[in-house]
Amino acid sequence: MKPLDPRLIRRSRAARRFLLVGGALALLQTAATIGLAYALASLVANLIEGERMSQAWPLLVLLVASASVRALAAWSWELVGSAGAMRVKQELRRDLLESIESAPAGVPGFSSGRTTTLLGPGLDALDAYFGSYLPQLVLTVVSTPILIAVAWAADPLSGLVFVIVLPLIPLFMALIGMATAGVQRRQYDSLGTLSHGFLEVVGGLSTLIVFGRARRQVERIGAITDDFRKRTMAVLRVTFLSGFTLEFAASLSVAIVAVSIGFRLVWGEIDLLPGLFVLILAPDIFLPVRNVGAAFHASSAGVAASDDAFELIAAAEERAAADVGAARGERVADAASGVSLVGASVRRGGVVVIDGVDLVARPGDVVAVTGPSGIGKSSLFAGLLGFAPMGGEVLVDGEPPGAAARASIAWAPQGATLSGGTVTSNVRLGAEHADPAFAQRAMRLAAVGLDPETPVGHGGTGLSGGQAQRVAIARALHRALATRATVVLLDEPTSAQDPAHEAAIAAGLRELAEDGCLVLVATHRAGVVAAADRTLDLAGAHV
Amino acid sequence: MSERGSIMLRAATPSAGRLAPSVLSGIASGFSAIALLACSAWLIARAAEQPPVLYLSVAVVGVRAFALGRAVFRYLERLTGHDASFRQLAAIRTGVFERMLPVAPDGLAGARRGDLLARFVDDVDELQNVPLRVVQPLVSAAIVLIAAIVGVALLAPASAVAVLACLVLGIGLTLLAQSFASARAQRELAPLRGDLQAAVLEHVQSVDVLVAFDAAEGSRARIERLGDRLARATRSRIMAAGAASAAMTAIGGFAVAGSLAAAAPLLEDGRIGGPAFAVLALVPLAIAEVAAAIPLAATAWRQARTSAARVESAVPEQVPAGVPVPPVEPADPPPAGAPPAISLRGLRASWPAVAEAVAGDGDPADAATTRNGPPAASGTALVQVDLDLVPGECALLRGPSGAGKTTLAHVLVRFLDYDGSYRLGGVEASELDPDALRRIVGLVEQRPWLFDESVRQNLLFANDAATDDDLLDALERVGLRDWVAERGGLDAPVGERGSLVSGGQAQRIALARATLAGFPVLVLDEPTANVDAAQASALMHDLVAAARGAGRTVLVISHAPVDDRLIDRTLAIAEGRLDGRSTT
Repeated sequence: MKPLDPRLIRRSRAARRFLLVGGALALLQTAATIGLAYALASLVANLIEGERMSQAWPLLVLLVASASVRALAAWSWELVGSAGAMRVKQELRRDLLESIESAPAGVPGFSSGRTTTLLGPGLDALDAYFGSYLPQLVLTVVSTPILIAVAWAADPLSGLVFVIVLPLIPLFMALIGMATAGVQRRQYDSLGTLSHGFLEVVGGLSTLIVFGRARRQVERIGAITDDFRKRTMAVLRVTFLSGFTLEFAASLSVAIVAVSIGFRLVWGEIDLLPGLFVLILAPDIFLPVRNVGAAFHASSAGVAASDDAFELIAAAEERAAADVGAARGERVADAASGVSLVGASVRRGGVVVIDGVDLVARPGDVVAVTGPSGIGKSSLFAGLLGFAPMGGEVLVDGEPPGAAARASIAWAPQGATLSGGTVTSNVRLGAEHADPAFAQRAMRLAAVGLDPETPVGHGGTGLSGGQAQRVAIARALHRALATRATVVLLDEPTSAQDPAHEAAIAAGLRELAEDGCLVLVATHRAGVVAAADRTLDLAGAHV
Repeated sequence: MSERGSIMLRAATPSAGRLAPSVLSGIASGFSAIALLACSAWLIARAAEQPPVLYLSVAVVGVRAFALGRAVFRYLERLTGHDASFRQLAAIRTGVFERMLPVAPDGLAGARRGDLLARFVDDVDELQNVPLRVVQPLVSAAIVLIAAIVGVALLAPASAVAVLACLVLGIGLTLLAQSFASARAQRELAPLRGDLQAAVLEHVQSVDVLVAFDAAEGSRARIERLGDRLARATRSRIMAAGAASAAMTAIGGFAVAGSLAAAAPLLEDGRIGGPAFAVLALVPLAIAEVAAAIPLAATAWRQARTSAARVESAVPEQVPAGVPVPPVEPADPPPAGAPPAISLRGLRASWPAVAEAVAGDGDPADAATTRNGPPAASGTALVQVDLDLVPGECALLRGPSGAGKTTLAHVLVRFLDYDGSYRLGGVEASELDPDALRRIVGLVEQRPWLFDESVRQNLLFANDAATDDDLLDALERVGLRDWVAERGGLDAPVGERGSLVSGGQAQRIALARATLAGFPVLVLDEPTANVDAAQASALMHDLVAAARGAGRTVLVISHAPVDDRLIDRTLAIAEGRLDGRSTT
C-alpha cells in the first residue's frame, strides 16, 4: 500500500492545502515539544542545583505555554484534518458524479451497488485517512528529523542511538509484515467468516424455523465461534508482534539512552541539563512513528476508496472516449424533424446487438417497435439517447445522437425510476418552471389517475408498479409538451397495466402524435401495437 | 426499570476470572511505563551527584527491566484481552440467539428488512468490544493511576494533589466535550448525512433519466448544497471533538508543571533529594499517557451501549402480542403422511407491533439507516378469513399487494398468532406445538434464504438422511438437474445470500428443499415476485407442477395469474377478507 496516493495530491486542491497547513502545524507542534522538554529539563536541573522557585518562574511559564501550544496544535489538527476530509470528499463526490453522468448507461466495472458504496461509506473512509493517518504521517516526516537533530545537538551519543534505532522500526515492521502477510490475510478472512457465520444463522432464521432446525443452531454457534477464536488467536499471536516491535524499540532506546547518560554523568562527561532534556525528548521522537503504525489500518479503507474513485473516473473517461470514436451521422441543419435510421446498429459493451435497422418516422407517427424480449429494443432507445454507441446513419431531428439530439427526446425507461417527492414533482422533472397546465394534460394522457400531490418515496416507493409506470409515462409526455422534445421514446410502457389503462394510454399516445410528436413505443402488447400506425420489427436486426 | 441495553451489556462482560489475565497484564504494562520513566529520572538525577557506579546498578537494572516489561506486558495484554473477548463472543451470540428463538421470526424488529439484518449482526459483534476496549483498559488504567498517585503522594502529597487535579479536570473536560460532540452528531449530523446519502443514491440510480431530462445538474447542485450544509454542521462537532483531544494533550504538561511547583518547596527545604524531585517532575508525563486510555474507553463504551440498546429492542424480551406462544401441554398432531384437511373459520390476525429501530447516540450512520429505509411495513391484518383446503388440492390465492396474502401464509405456519379457528385435521392449531405443526405445513418464502454453502448442503439440511440420488431427483423435479450438472454437480456453491444463483434458481432450489423435507401441506408465497417478468410464467408453471407431486396440498400465493390447468381452485383475497369455503 502506498502511504500517500500522488493522484490524490495532483487531483485535489483541498488535499494539497491540507498538506501545507498540516506541515506548518507539525512545525509548531515540534517547536512546542522541544520547548516543553527544554523548560522541564532546565527547571529540574536548576532547582536541583539550588535555584529558588521564585527565580524559576519564566521557565515554568515556558513549560505551561509549550503544553498549551501543543494542545492547541492538537486541536487544530482535528479541525484541519476533518475540514480537509470534508473538502476532499466534496471534490471527489463532484468529480465522481460528473463522471457517472458522462456515462449514463453505466461505467464498466461499476455496478450501481459498487458506485453507491463508493460514494457513501467509501468516501466516508477518507475521514479516518485525513483525520488520523495523514496527520501522523506528516508529523512523522516533519518532526522526527528535527527532534533527532535537536537531541544530537544536546548529546551526540544519544542522537546516534536514535539514528540507529529509528530506521530499525520500519525495517522490523516490514520484515514482520512480509513474514505475516499470508497469516494476516487469513486473519481478516477468518474475522470476516466469524461474523458471516452468525449473519447466516440470523438471516436464515425463518428458513431454519420452517425446517425445524433453529434450536440446534445454539450449540453450533458456540462451537463455530470458539473454533474461530482458536484459529484467530493463533494468528493474532504473530500479528501483534509488529506492535510489540514498535513498543520495544521505543522503550529500549529510552533505556539505552538513560543508562548511557547516567554513566557519563557519573564520569562527568555530560551535564544534567542535556541529559534530562534528551531523556524527556526520547519518547516524543518515537511517538509519531508509533501512531502511524496504529493508524495504518484505519487508513487502508480510505486509500482503497480513493483508488476506487480514480478507477471509476478513468473508466468513465475511457468509456466516453470510446463512444466519441463511434459517432456517426453528419449534422443536417435543414433535415426534416423526426428520426431517420439507415443501416443503423447499436453496440453494447463492445458487442453489436442490433444491426441494419432502417426507419424514417416523422412527427405525427406512432411506431411500435417489436420483437421478443432481449432483442435490443431498449438498446435502440439507449443508442438514440446517446447512451450507447451507434453505427450507420442516424439522425434525430437532424442531429446525430448526443447531447444536441437528446434535447429533442422525451423518454420513459422500462423501469419507472422515480425520485422522492410528489407525483407532480416527478412529472415535471427537468421542466419545473413550465406551465402547470402541461403537467395536468400529461397526467391525463398517461391516465395517471392519482392526486398530483401524492407523495412518492425514494425509488418510487409508495406507488404500485402500475402507478409508477404511468407516472413515468406522464413524465415523458410532460417533457414533450413543455419543451421542444418532439421525439417520444416509450419502453414497454404498459407491461404492468390492465387492459383498461392500456387502452387509455394508447389513446393518449395517439392524441400526442396528432399534436405533432413522433412516438416510438417498444412493446409486445397487442393493444399498443394495434394503436400504432406501423411496426418496426427488430427480429431481423438482431445479431 | 434498568437502563436500556444493560442486560446485553452485562451479558457481554466476562467473569472476573476470565478478565484477570488481561487486566493484570494491563496493570503490569502501565506500571512498567511509569516505572521506566521514574527509574530513568532517578538514575540521571542520582548520577549527576556522581556517586560510586555501584549505587546506580539497581536503577540500571530497573530501567532495562521496565523497558522490556512495558513491551512484553503490552503484548500479553492485547493477546489475553482478545482471547477473553472472543470467548465472550460465543456466549453473547448464543445468548442473543436464544433470546430470538421464542419471538422469531415475526416478533423480531426488522425481520422483514434485509438491510437491518447486517446492522443487527454488527451490533451483536460490537458487544465483544465491551471487555476488550472498555472494561479491561478502564480497570487497568484506574488501578495504575491510583497506585501511581499514591506513590507520588508518599514522596510529596502536594504534588499528588496537583497531578490528581489535572487528571480529574482534563479527563472531565474531555468526557464533556466528547459527549457534546456525540450528542451533536446524533441530533444534527445524522439526518443531514442520511439526506445526503439518499440524494446520492437516487442520483446514481436514476442518472440515465436525469441526463435524459436535463435534470442532472439540478440534482447535483442539490447534492452539493447538502454537502455544504453537512460540512458546516460538522465544524462545530469537530471543535468539540478537538477540544477533547486537546485537553488530553495538555494534561501531561500541566500535571508536570503542577507537580514540579508543588515539590519545589520540599526540595528547597531539603526534605526531598534531587533524584526524588526529578522523579516527581517527570513521572506525571507517563501518568498522563496511561490516563489517555480513559476517554478512549468512554467512547467505546458509548458505542457499545448504543449497540446493546439496539439489540435489546430488536429482540423483545417478552413475546409480543401476535406471535404464537407454544401451549404448555400440546395436543397430538394429526398423523403425518397424508395431508390433513385444513379449515379456517372467522380467522383474524395482525402483525405484532415492533419497534423498527432505536436511534443510536453516537454513530450517525445508524440513524441514517433508520431514517431512509422504507417506512416499516406494518403488514396487513386479516379481518375475516374462511378457507378450506381439501387434502391434495392445489389452490391459488390471488389479491393485490397489501391484501394480506403473506399474513395468511405466516399464520398457516404459525409465525403469526390468530383469533378465530384454524383447524388441521380437526385439531385446533393453537393447541399444537408450533414445531410439530411446521412438520406438516411448510412454507417457501418470498425471498428464500440460501446458505453460503454448496447446493448439496442447502438441500441436505431439510432432510439429512437424503442420498445424492434423492437430491438429484428433487432438483430434476424443479427443472434444475441440467443447471446443477453444468455447474459441476451438487458441490456447486450458491454464494453469499445466494448471490451466485439467479432469483428464479433460488426459488427452484428452495422448492426442491421443501419437497425433500416432505411437508404434506406446502405454501408458496409469491414465488415469482423477484423474478423478471419474462421468466415468471415459466417458473411459476415449473414450481407449481413440482410442488403438486406426491398428493400434497398446495396453496400458491401470487398476484400474477397461473396456468389454469395446474390449479384446482382460485381464491381472491382483498383487504384482509377471504371467503374460500369449500363448495363441495
